[in-house]
Amino acid sequence: MKEPEPEFVDKWEVQLRKGCLELAILAALWDGKLYGLEILRRLESASDLIVSEGTVYPLLSRLKALGLVESEWVESDAGHPRKYYALTAAGRQRGREMAAMWTRFSASMSRLIAPLGKGKKEHV
Amino acid sequence: MSNDDSQRIEAYLSKVRRSLRGMNDQDVREILDELRSHILDKAPAGLDTALASLGSPEELARQYVTDDLLARAEVSRSPLRILDSLFRWASLSVAGFFVLLGSIGGYFLGAAFILCALLKPFFPRTTGLWVIPDGAGDSAISLRLGLTGAAPDGRELLGWWIIPIGLAVGCALVILTTRFALWCVRQYRRSRVPAHA
Repeated sequence: MKEPEPEFVDKWEVQLRKGCLELAILAALWDGKLYGLEILRRLESASDLIVSEGTVYPLLSRLKALGLVESEWVESDAGHPRKYYALTAAGRQRGREMAAMWTRFSASMSRLIAPLGKGKKEHV
Repeated sequence: MSNDDSQRIEAYLSKVRRSLRGMNDQDVREILDELRSHILDKAPAGLDTALASLGSPEELARQYVTDDLLARAEVSRSPLRILDSLFRWASLSVAGFFVLLGSIGGYFLGAAFILCALLKPFFPRTTGLWVIPDGAGDSAISLRLGLTGAAPDGRELLGWWIIPIGLAVGCALVILTTRFALWCVRQYRRSRVPAHA
């Protein structure tokens, strides 16, 4: 039996977002340290990657466990401390590699899917 | 912030904490502190929205736990670390329990082959792979470490070949079990991708 089309596309989109999020976080931290909510706001303003805010925090903790980011607690004017993240040398290295991979990948995908955009205009 | 709001925040966090079982205390404290800080930052614009956009506490905790399992397994391929991760996974799900059983079996058999190869030079007459008749006409294949005195009644299969073969089979079993466990954890993590990433 054929699976209904929209569900398939939805799942694929979820995987795609999830796969990109790691690189997007490394990119958001490129210019300096940020705390979780700042990372979220930056991603939200620059992209439509974020649907659930809850996804970003576990991912940050995973990036930390992998040694790609480091964190420190900083007191704030708001009255509660905030956890700031910064890229480690390994995180910078990984970011560069992933960015290069992404550029190659998206260029070849764009070429490959070019025929799909011709003819009937359809919003995915 | 009203008392009521503080209570709702702590209620949300304690649900997260309950679902984080298996992680170490330091990590749990750090996670809860960070989520609290996030909620407090967003609360002035509406606590309901702040909590809703984090998603259900159980789902949020589950992402931490599975990410943690995979990160640990990826950082270290040591069987001990992997078994440690699997023990924690087994405490969370039936699938984890079976993967743990399978992995223990794989590592155990692998270790037995390697030990057998290593002990053969010291107990040449009693260590090895034996075919042992069970008296009822059937026979069983038995891997003997040879530490318990007398040679078994039966026929030894490999002789000195147990050393290279035991080492090769043992190492292969350990490597395959590690790959199998990592593969399972990855599949599990993939299946846990939340509906809204």
